Amino acid sequence: MDTFMLFLILLAIPLLTALVAFTCRWVGASRPVLTAVHTIGSTLLLLMSLYGVWAVYQQGELLAGHNWLHLDSLSSLFLAILGVIGFITGIYSIGYMNHELEEGEVSLKSLGTYYGFFHLFLFTMLLVITSNNLILMWAAIEATTLSSAFLVGLYGQQSSLEAAWKYIIICTVGVAFGLYGTVLVYANAANVMPNPGDAIFWSEVLKHANLLDSSLMHLAFIFILIGFGTKTGLFPMHAWLPDAHSEAPSPTSALLSAVLLNCALLVIIRYAILISAAIGPEFPQRLLLVFGLLSVAVAAFLILVQRDMKRLLAYSSVENMGLIAVALGIGGPLGIFAAMLHTLNHSLGKTLLFCGSGNVLLKYGTRDMNAVKGLLRVAPLSGALLAGGALALGGMPPFNLFLSEFMTVTAGIRGGYLWLVIVLLVLLTIVLAGLVRMIVMSVLGKQPDNVSKGELGWLTTAPLAVLMVLMVLMGTHIPQPVQQLLKQATTIVLNGDQAGIDELHALELPGAATEDSTTAAATSSHSAAQEMYRD
Amino acid sequence: MTGTLLVNNLAGLMIVTSMMVIAARKPTVSAGLYALQSLVLVGIFLSLASLFDAHELYMWSISSFITKVVLVPLIMYRAFRKMADPNADGGVISTALLMMIAAAIVLVSYFATAPVALPMLADLKPVLAVSLGHFLIGLLCIVSQRNILKQVFGYCLMENGAHLTLALLAYKAPELVEIGIATDAIFAVVIMALMARRIYRTMNTLDVQKLISLKG
Amino acid sequence: METIALATMLLPFIGALLIALSPQRYAKVLCTAFALLATLGMGWLALSYLGSGKTDVTMPLYSFGHTQIFGFVIDRVSTLIGFAVVSLGFLISLYSCGYLTALNREHPHDGSNRYYALLLIFIGAMAGLTLSSTILGQLLFFEITGGCSWGLIGYYQSPKSLRSALKALIVTHIASVGLYLAAAWLFARTGTFELTAIAQLTDADKLVVFGGILFAAWGKSAQLPLHMWLPDAMEAPTPVSAYLHAASMVKVGVYIFARAIMSSDSVPHEIGVVGVVMATITMVYGFLMYLPQKDMKRLLAYSTIAQLSYIFLALSMSTFNSKMAFDAGVAYIFNHAYAKSLFFLVAGALSYACGTRMLPKLRGMLKCTPLLGIGFCVAAMAIAGVPPFNGFFSKFPLFAAGFSLTGEHWWLMPLLIVALIESVASFAWLLMWFGRTVPGEPSPELASAQPVPLSMKLVLLVLIVMSLVSSVIAANWLN
Repeated sequence: MDTFMLFLILLAIPLLTALVAFTCRWVGASRPVLTAVHTIGSTLLLLMSLYGVWAVYQQGELLAGHNWLHLDSLSSLFLAILGVIGFITGIYSIGYMNHELEEGEVSLKSLGTYYGFFHLFLFTMLLVITSNNLILMWAAIEATTLSSAFLVGLYGQQSSLEAAWKYIIICTVGVAFGLYGTVLVYANAANVMPNPGDAIFWSEVLKHANLLDSSLMHLAFIFILIGFGTKTGLFPMHAWLPDAHSEAPSPTSALLSAVLLNCALLVIIRYAILISAAIGPEFPQRLLLVFGLLSVAVAAFLILVQRDMKRLLAYSSVENMGLIAVALGIGGPLGIFAAMLHTLNHSLGKTLLFCGSGNVLLKYGTRDMNAVKGLLRVAPLSGALLAGGALALGGMPPFNLFLSEFMTVTAGIRGGYLWLVIVLLVLLTIVLAGLVRMIVMSVLGKQPDNVSKGELGWLTTAPLAVLMVLMVLMGTHIPQPVQQLLKQATTIVLNGDQAGIDELHALELPGAATEDSTTAAATSSHSAAQEMYRD
Repeated sequence: MTGTLLVNNLAGLMIVTSMMVIAARKPTVSAGLYALQSLVLVGIFLSLASLFDAHELYMWSISSFITKVVLVPLIMYRAFRKMADPNADGGVISTALLMMIAAAIVLVSYFATAPVALPMLADLKPVLAVSLGHFLIGLLCIVSQRNILKQVFGYCLMENGAHLTLALLAYKAPELVEIGIATDAIFAVVIMALMARRIYRTMNTLDVQKLISLKG
Repeated sequence: METIALATMLLPFIGALLIALSPQRYAKVLCTAFALLATLGMGWLALSYLGSGKTDVTMPLYSFGHTQIFGFVIDRVSTLIGFAVVSLGFLISLYSCGYLTALNREHPHDGSNRYYALLLIFIGAMAGLTLSSTILGQLLFFEITGGCSWGLIGYYQSPKSLRSALKALIVTHIASVGLYLAAAWLFARTGTFELTAIAQLTDADKLVVFGGILFAAWGKSAQLPLHMWLPDAMEAPTPVSAYLHAASMVKVGVYIFARAIMSSDSVPHEIGVVGVVMATITMVYGFLMYLPQKDMKRLLAYSTIAQLSYIFLALSMSTFNSKMAFDAGVAYIFNHAYAKSLFFLVAGALSYACGTRMLPKLRGMLKCTPLLGIGFCVAAMAIAGVPPFNGFFSKFPLFAAGFSLTGEHWWLMPLLIVALIESVASFAWLLMWFGRTVPGEPSPELASAQPVPLSMKLVLLVLIVMSLVSSVIAANWLN
C-alpha cells in the first residue's frame, strides 16, 4: 500500500465513522444501525492501526503528504495503544451505552452524539500521533479537548457540565502555553534553518537542532511542559483531570486516561528529543523529574482519601503519568525503555479499571465507595477482574506494571538517584494501600439489599477479561514484536546517543540486532550536535 | 526607526486594550473591546510587514482581520447577548490590583526575554516582551474573573499574545500556519460558547464560584 | 530436572486458575490434589538431586538479552526448604478441607474458591521463591506472597481482619523496598540479577545489597522494627496462620537472607553485627510480649517472632565464617516450620472442637481430646528446645557455633547468654501453660468438644512425627 494511502485510510476511518454516526443521529436512525456503524468503525480502526504499526515495523519511518504526516517506531507504539484501547473501549461502550439507554440515562439522540464524538475524538488523537507538523500537532491536541468536552458533559447534569467547563478552560489555557512553546521553537527554527519552510516539520527541525538558540529553547521547554503537561495531567496542572475522568461515561474515562494522556505525553517526548538535541538533556530531564515526582507524591496521598471510585482512578492516572515522567527524567536507555513500557502497561491497566468501575456504576448507580459494597458477591467476575486490576495497578506481580515499575527503579539506581528511588518506592506503597482500600471498600464486604445479583452481559465483561489476559501476558512474557516495538521507540527517544544504543543492544535479543542497527544508523547520521545527548 | 517606534507603541496599546477587555463589566462590551484590540494587532502586523518588507504578513493581516476583528467578536456578541448574570460580573480582585499585577507581568516578561539573542530583534525587544506579557495577562484574566464568559476572553487574549510572538519571530511562516491557528481559535471559542450556554441553561448562572460541586 | 522444577512451580498456579473457574464443591479436592502434585514434584527434585550425588545445579530459564531474569537453583538449601514449604502447603490444604466446614464452631463456614485458589498460588509462589536463582525472581515471588497473604488474612472480610490484612500488606511492602533496592543495585553494578553475582561486588556495594535484603527480610519475618503486622494477622483462618505465619511467609525473609549469604564469599561484618544485635533485641521483645497473651494464636505469633530471631541470630553469626551457624540456621527454618505449624494447627483444632482458643478456658485436653493434648505437648517441647524434639537439634548447634565464635568476637558472649536465658524462660512459660491446659479435669468448653475430622487428625499426626524426626532429615541433608 502506498504510504500516503495508508495515512489517508487510517485518518479517514474514524472521521468517516464520526460523520456517519452524526448523520444517523440527524436522520434518527435506530439503535442497531448506530451500533453497527460504531462497531464497524472501531474494528476497522483496530485493523488499520495494527497494519500501520506493522508497516513501520517492516519499513521503518514513514513520511507522507509533503512531510506533514509521519509515523516512526515511537508514534507507532502510541498508535498501537490507540488502536487496541480504542477497540476495547469501543466494544465496551456498546454494552455500557445500551444499558444507559435502557435505564433512560441517555436518549437515542445522545447515543448518536456519543458515538459520533467518540470517533471524532479518536480521529483527533490519531492526528496528534501522526502529525509531523509542529503547529498541526498543537492544533490536534487542542482539537482533542474540543471533541472530548462533549463526551465529558454527555450526561448533561450539573456536575458533568461543570467538569466539562473546567476541562475545556484549563486544557485550552494549558495548551495555549503549548502553543507559545511551539511558536518559540518554530520561530527560532525558521530563522536559523537554511530552508525556513521546513522549520515546521519535527523531523526536519531535529536535523538542525544544534542551530537553535539555547535560552529560547530553555524557555520553550518550560512552556511546552506546562502546556502539554496540563493535558498529560502532571501536577500542578492536573486540576481538570479528576473532574473530567469521574464525570465522563466510563468508556470515555478509559479513553481519556489510557490514550489521551499518552498523546499529550508523546508531544512532550517529541519536544524533549528536539530540545535535548539542542541544549543537552540535563535541563529537560531535570524538569521532567521534578514534575513527575511531585505528581506521584501528590496523587499518592489524594488516592488514599478518595471516596469516589472514579476520582481515585483519575488520581492514579496522575500518579502513573508522573511515574512515566520520572522514568523519562532518569533517562538512559533503561529509563526510557521503562517509560515506554509503563505507558503501554498503564493504558491496559487503567482501561480495565475504568471499564470495571463502569460496571460498578451500572450495577449500583453510584461511584461512592461508601455505598458500593460486595461487588464480588453481586457480580463475581467483574469483582474479581476489578480486584485483580487494582492489585496490578498497585504494582503487584505477576502483572505488567510491576515489571515497568521495577525497571524504573533499576534505571534510577543506575543513574545514581538512590534517594529519589527510595521516596518513589514509599510513594508507590501508599498508592498500593489506596488501591487496596478501594478493593476492601467496594469489591469485598456484604452486598446491599437493593442490588440484584448477576453480571451485566458479556459485552461489559469480555473486554475486561481480555485486558486481564493481556496484562498477565505483558507481566510474565512480553511478546517478541512488542519488545521490538518498545526497543525501537526507545532508540528514537535516545536519538543517536551511541552509548545508550549500545547499552540497549546489551539487552538485545538475537535476531533483532539488524532491525535496530539500521534505525540507529539512520538516526546517528542526523547531526553532530546530538553527541551532546548523553544518557 | 519610526517603523519600530510605531510597532512598539502599538504593542503598548495592546496591553491597554487588553486591560480594558478585562475591566469591562459586560461581556458584550468586552467583545467590542476585543475587536478593537484585534484591530491594533492587525495594525502591528501591517507595520511589521512594511518594516520587514514581508508580504506574508500582509496576508496575515487580512486573514486576522476577517477572523479576529469580525468573526470571533461577532460570534461572541451574538452568543453572549442572550446570557446575563449580574451576580457574576466583576472580578475576585480589584481593578487597581489587576493593573499592578499586569505591570509586574510585563516587567517579568521583559527580563525573561532579555537573554534572547536574535539579531533581527534588537529594536523590537519591547514588542517581544509585550507579546509574552500579553499572553500571561490573558491567563490573569482567566484566574481573576468570576464570569465564565470572561474566561473565554482570557483565552482569546492568550491566543493574541501567541499570535503576536509568531508574527515577530516567524513572519516568513506560510499563510497556512496562521490560518491553522486562527481556525482552531474560532472552533475553541464556538465550543466554549456552546458549553457556556448549556451551563447557563442548566444552572442559570455564569458565576464560576457557583461551579463547586466537584472537588478533592 | 528443569521440567520438574518448572512443573512444581507452575502446577499450583494452574490449579488456582482451575479452581477459579470450577464450582465451589470441587475447590477443596482440586486444591489438595494440586498441592500433592507440587509436593511430589518437589520430592522428586530432591531425590534426583540426591541421586546426582548432591551436585548443585543452576538452570537459567528466562533471559532478556544477556540478562538472566529467572532461573532455578537446585542445592541442599533450596531443596530442603522448598520441600518443607510445599509439603506443609499440602498438609495445610488437607487440614483446611476439614477445618473450613459448616461444622467449625468458631467460624462455621465452607471454604470458598477464593480461599483455595489463593492458598495454591501461595504454595506456587513459595516453590518459586525457594528455587529462584535470581534476585528478581525472589522479588517477584516476595510480592506475590504479600498480595496473597492480604487476600488470605482478610479472608473472613470482617472489618478488623481487613484492617490487619492491609497492615500486613503495607508493612511487608515497605520492607520490599529494601529488596527492590538490592535488586536494582545488583543489576546496576554487575549487569545481572543472578544471586551469585553478589560475590563480585565491592564491600561498599555489598553493604547496600545486604542492607536492602536484611531490611526486606526483617519485614517479611516480622522482626523489629517491622514486626507489628504479625500479631494482628492472627485474624486469618487458623490454617492460613499456620501456613503463612509459621511455615512459609515468615520464612521468606530468613530464606532470602540465607540465600544471599550463601551466594557471597564474604559478607560485610557490619551486616552480621546489626543482624545479631537486632535479633537479640527482637528475641527479648518477643518473649516479653508472651506474658500478657491469653489468646493461643497471639501467643504463638509472638513465639514466632522470637523463634525467627533465633534464625536471624544463627544466620548473622554465620557471616563471621561459621558454616556451623549457617547450617544451624537453615535446619532451624526447616524444624521450626513443622513444629510451629503443629502448634497452630492444634490451636485450630481446639477452636474447631470447642469454639474458643483462649487459653484460660481450655483445661483437661488430654482427657477429652488426647491427640490435641499430645500435639500441644510435642509442639511446646519442640519449640522450647527440649530433647528429643527437633527444636533441640536446631538450638544446640546454634549455641555451639555461637560460643565457638566468642573466642574471636567476645561481644557475642553477652548476647548469647541473653538468648540462652530467653530459651529457658520461654520453656518455663510454655510449661506453665502446658500444666494449666493439658492435664486436669476438663473445662466446660472441652467437655462439650466435638470430634475433630479425620483429615485434621491425619495432618496432626504427620506433624507430630515430623517434630520428632525433622531434625534428623535436616542434619543428614545438609551434610
